[in-house]
Amino acid sequence: MWWKILLLPVMGAVIIAAFMTPSPMNPGSAVGATDVYRIFYFHVPQAWVASLAFIISMFFSIRYLKNHRMDDDLRAVTAARLGLIFCILATVTGSIFARMTWGEFWNWSEIREVSIFILLIIYGAYFALRSALPNPETRAALSAVMSILFAVSALFLIFILPRIYAVFSQHPSDSIVDKTGQITMGASVAIIFGLSLFSFTMLFLWMYGLSVRTARLAEKSLSGS
Amino acid sequence: MPDNSVNWAAKILAVTRKDLVSEFRTRYAVNAVVMFALVTLTVISMSLGMMVPSTELLAALFWIILFFAAMSGLAQVFIREEETGTAMILKLSSPGLTIFFGKLLFNLLLLTTLAILIVPLFIILFHSSPNNWAVFLTGLALGVAGLAGATTIIAAIVARASIKGALFTVLSFPVLAPLLIAVIEISKVGLAGGGFGDISAPLQLLVAYNVVMITVSMMLFDFVWRQ
Repeated sequence: MWWKILLLPVMGAVIIAAFMTPSPMNPGSAVGATDVYRIFYFHVPQAWVASLAFIISMFFSIRYLKNHRMDDDLRAVTAARLGLIFCILATVTGSIFARMTWGEFWNWSEIREVSIFILLIIYGAYFALRSALPNPETRAALSAVMSILFAVSALFLIFILPRIYAVFSQHPSDSIVDKTGQITMGASVAIIFGLSLFSFTMLFLWMYGLSVRTARLAEKSLSGS
Repeated sequence: MPDNSVNWAAKILAVTRKDLVSEFRTRYAVNAVVMFALVTLTVISMSLGMMVPSTELLAALFWIILFFAAMSGLAQVFIREEETGTAMILKLSSPGLTIFFGKLLFNLLLLTTLAILIVPLFIILFHSSPNNWAVFLTGLALGVAGLAGATTIIAAIVARASIKGALFTVLSFPVLAPLLIAVIEISKVGLAGGGFGDISAPLQLLVAYNVVMITVSMMLFDFVWRQ
């Protein structure tokens, strides 16, 4: 319980610090767009939470196929539902950043935009499939299989495609780590970013726990009546 | 066990033959796929007029036509079983994997037919042919194999759903996205006349993708089929 109360001052502090401290951009980058780099404090944790939710959903999908417990399906779909919300947020904030720095909301030659958009499509397709399957057991098994197929495709897109295929990327990775993997952000930036990452993750886990509990109650009242 | 593997091959071919026979009787999937391809080819060709597009655009258009034409017919193999009520008999008579490979083979034949029809039409209507046929056909063959390999299990999933046609495309696109990116790149090089050295990266990706997707589908097929 204590960490839930702690989340309020920590997230409040992150929001205030994100706007009051100097912008986290590296001095070599585009001129006149310094303030927009503050979005990094929120955009990166959102993208991280969207991926984390995807991984959790996948984990419970695989577990459902192993032991066919409906609770695993409930956990998988709950994680996917929250993941979709954070995925939309990450896409929107990323798009705003792209507009402010590179002049356009969307650019397909940017591989990170391709991968987050595919993740968004995956979440959409997953729910489209679920709504088309009326029987709960069939729905659970088939959507679990489908989410594993999606994961294989996502692995190709995120890890293999950008490495073996010469893809142009303007994504500012050198403000956090440079090309050699060395951390380049300043101490204050690192602290704010770390706290933001931590509190977004905690917020997600809290929302996830609550959603699972309400979904279980809804399930119980449905089967009871 | 050579005897056993012969038995498996015979069973797989039996499933494919059964589908081919019922396809020859109704010509449902072939008609849908070919007519869809013809219509999209015509629409695009008419809207381009006499303009000769760049190789980038040509490669993208070619795969858009092939992708959507394939989407209109590939799901039929399993939908047909559900609609005629023969899925249960098939479940009883053959092991899951022979059905998977039998259907995969049928879809592969369907797509190959489509590709054989679409390539000459494409050349005639778009006034340009590949400058390096070997590269272009390699990409086409691997792309067609990957399309059939990755979508066969999705067809089995969609056959159980209440809205089939639209859902198949929606589910297939995210799974096929890496394949499409790679084949468009290869076709572009083939149309422009580049050599195999220019496509080594997308070629590796494509081969890895096909192997991984078919393996994963094999492992997961029973979960879908036994539902």
